[in-house]
Amino acid sequence: MTDTMASPSENSRSKTRGEGKFWTMPRWLTSEHSFPWIFPATATLIVFGLYPIIYSVWLSLNRRHPVTRENEWNPAWNWSRVFADERVWDAISVTYMYTFVAITIQLALGLGIALLLDSDRKGFGLMRALMTLPLVVPPAVTGMMFLLMYNNSFGVISRTLQSIGLLDPAKPLLSSHETALWAVMVADIWQWTPFMVLIMMAGLRALPKDPFEAAAIDGANALQAFRRLTLPMLSKIIAIAVLIRGIDLFRVYDYVKVMTDSGPGTATETLTAYSGTIYFKSANFPYASAVAILTLVLVIITANIFIKVFKVRF
Amino acid sequence: MSFKNHQRQQFIIDTANAYTKRKISKRDFLRKMGLAGVGFSAFGMGMLGGHSRGKGLQLGNMAHAAGHSDMNEWLREVGKPFAGTTIRYTSEATPPTVVANELKGEFEELTGIKIEIEIVPLEQVLAKATQDVQGQLGTYDLYYLDQAWHATFFPDTVDPVEYSQEKPELAMPGFDYDDFSAPLVEGISKIGDKWVGIPFDIPIFTFMYRRDILEKHGIAVPKTYDEFTTAVKLITEAEKENGIFGTGLQAKSGHYSLECDWSQAVWGHGGSIFRADGTFSGNDEQGIMGLEWYQELLANAPASSLESTWDGQWQMMHSGQVAMVQSWDEFFPGMDGDDSPVKGLWEMTAPLQGPHTLRDRSAAGFGEIPDWGHQGGSSIALSRYSKNIDAAWLFMQWVCSKEMMVRLTLGGGFAPMRNSSFADPRVLEKARVGAGTTRHLPVVLDTIENYIASEPDMPLWAGLSSNEIPTELGKLLTGQEYGGDAKACMDAIAKIVDTQTAEAGLR
Repeated sequence: MTDTMASPSENSRSKTRGEGKFWTMPRWLTSEHSFPWIFPATATLIVFGLYPIIYSVWLSLNRRHPVTRENEWNPAWNWSRVFADERVWDAISVTYMYTFVAITIQLALGLGIALLLDSDRKGFGLMRALMTLPLVVPPAVTGMMFLLMYNNSFGVISRTLQSIGLLDPAKPLLSSHETALWAVMVADIWQWTPFMVLIMMAGLRALPKDPFEAAAIDGANALQAFRRLTLPMLSKIIAIAVLIRGIDLFRVYDYVKVMTDSGPGTATETLTAYSGTIYFKSANFPYASAVAILTLVLVIITANIFIKVFKVRF
Repeated sequence: MSFKNHQRQQFIIDTANAYTKRKISKRDFLRKMGLAGVGFSAFGMGMLGGHSRGKGLQLGNMAHAAGHSDMNEWLREVGKPFAGTTIRYTSEATPPTVVANELKGEFEELTGIKIEIEIVPLEQVLAKATQDVQGQLGTYDLYYLDQAWHATFFPDTVDPVEYSQEKPELAMPGFDYDDFSAPLVEGISKIGDKWVGIPFDIPIFTFMYRRDILEKHGIAVPKTYDEFTTAVKLITEAEKENGIFGTGLQAKSGHYSLECDWSQAVWGHGGSIFRADGTFSGNDEQGIMGLEWYQELLANAPASSLESTWDGQWQMMHSGQVAMVQSWDEFFPGMDGDDSPVKGLWEMTAPLQGPHTLRDRSAAGFGEIPDWGHQGGSSIALSRYSKNIDAAWLFMQWVCSKEMMVRLTLGGGFAPMRNSSFADPRVLEKARVGAGTTRHLPVVLDTIENYIASEPDMPLWAGLSSNEIPTELGKLLTGQEYGGDAKACMDAIAKIVDTQTAEAGLR
């Protein structure tokens, strides 16, 4: 017991067996200095977060010659093209549309389902567990699943919609510019609504009971309690959930790549999908970097506007 | 191919079939093959004696055992210093690669060189190869190079002919470069005088049709684009209710398959992709005619054509959804498989020709060859940046050797790259309805020798053919833009392409 009560400096020493010498840990490692504790995370962030971004910025300021494949320093080359490229503007519009619609539906469904499942009655626990299953499927696999279900000849969704007259067999869901983006969103909504359910559920469970009891005594009905109590008290949780999912949706790639490859035409081409196309198909790495950096800038601006407007505090 | 030549090939097939079914004697078989100009080595003739009824392929395998064992001995010796090396090759799931992946263990056993073959979708092959050459990494020792990418990767590969002269001790005896089909080498493996790689796969456009459906409607096998269009409309109108369409297309927006269909439509109507001065010519009169023809076909094809690449088109054929297709010959063997609902019903003939006259290749740009049979061939190429170049070179020679070329063909029924493989008795023996059939190969050989068309050889082509061109075509075909106006679409593509070629200093 006495040994275990030794001072930290004594604890940090160890005796090398047989040699009679003591090895002392460096002072900076035993002190309360913050460096040893933040170093691993900082290094990881620099190597895997900061460096790729800085490299991408540098790359976007070069021009890649398609014949010699040399990168030449020409800061204006890609950036002047980015803003003159119609596909970039189309992609911005598709990205915002995708993000806005998908987040709205996911939020509405997530909150609704969370309210329905917010009960301790028998079977609800199992329901909540089942709800999380779509989250464990990799997005690319989800894309493949929906790709098959949308197949115009044998897909269960397409065939069902055709049989009830809601889909023209001559216009496959994923090959019509009118429906393709919506069809891709459905896969995203199917997969990520449970995430919203989980967050909302956690928020609902953390709400204090007193205000609801008081409201009930005052004769408030369920709708009034929801509007006047639940929603205001959940607002911070909702804002954070929207922020996290919104950033995620803004950089959607997997579903688009697997299900439509940005098509038909450019109907489902988001900014990240366009960047990927330039990178993988045209091998124009500097221009792809410029589009990727533009995506990052737009995410930061949009997220900050959202934080400001909805007063999100972390 | 002349009619005489066709008769000769048919004669060879019939003779081989008759022999394997014991309808003629060995003596008669050899005599007839001699008449047809097919010779066998004395050893090969001796091995023929080992053939017995019901052992089909054993005949061929044994006949080739001699050459095979020589090659094996050589590989055992020459491969010793490289034992333990690992070679990496990335490729699309082409039939030869898939079969090579199955057989690579034999090479590994002989040499001790380990082979890793990464099979990924086409665009990923391009991405991996591009990253590898950009950083000169040498992650991959061998590349699969689609013919559309040759000009892009031309500086990054080692000329195999030069390398075999440079290192004669590593050159496989009897490899015989002259045995590779000359039009193939010209069309898919050479840029100027340099061999970028060795031809390894030759999907090529031929005309395929359902014999039973054409007979049912009393339609003669179409030979021209106009006859084909008429037949497509007639069949779609008559059979649409039964779920059968005149044709099916690989028209997926933004995919290279759509660009392949489009370029053949342009060539078939007397146009070309580029003019001799390097400007885009898809928007001239012939180009517009070709695209409008394609739009007309699409209106008579299953709607799923818009979401189909070559896989989807194959499925349409295999499921009995379409009656005629002008597309890749490699689809054909799968139609004759035991699990096929259309087994024995598909036939193949030469690609459609006329009534328009082909544009002369001297009027086209960047080495483009306008003709009737679009080829989508690929080469296996040796990376200049490989850290195990000699070991990779041994594998490359092994997989492209005469013996392996035959075995790869037998594994999947696709067209071989070597002239000798077409005449190999084992290949001829499989020229009947059945899984992995080779009964279509005479038509394929004819198309390679006489009608092979080739896309431009220019560094921008990999991107243009898989991004800008099929994306804009997709906008037109799905109604996203251009209001169905082919000219407006082609003008937009012309603007994009001409800007890029000018900026790159290519014209």
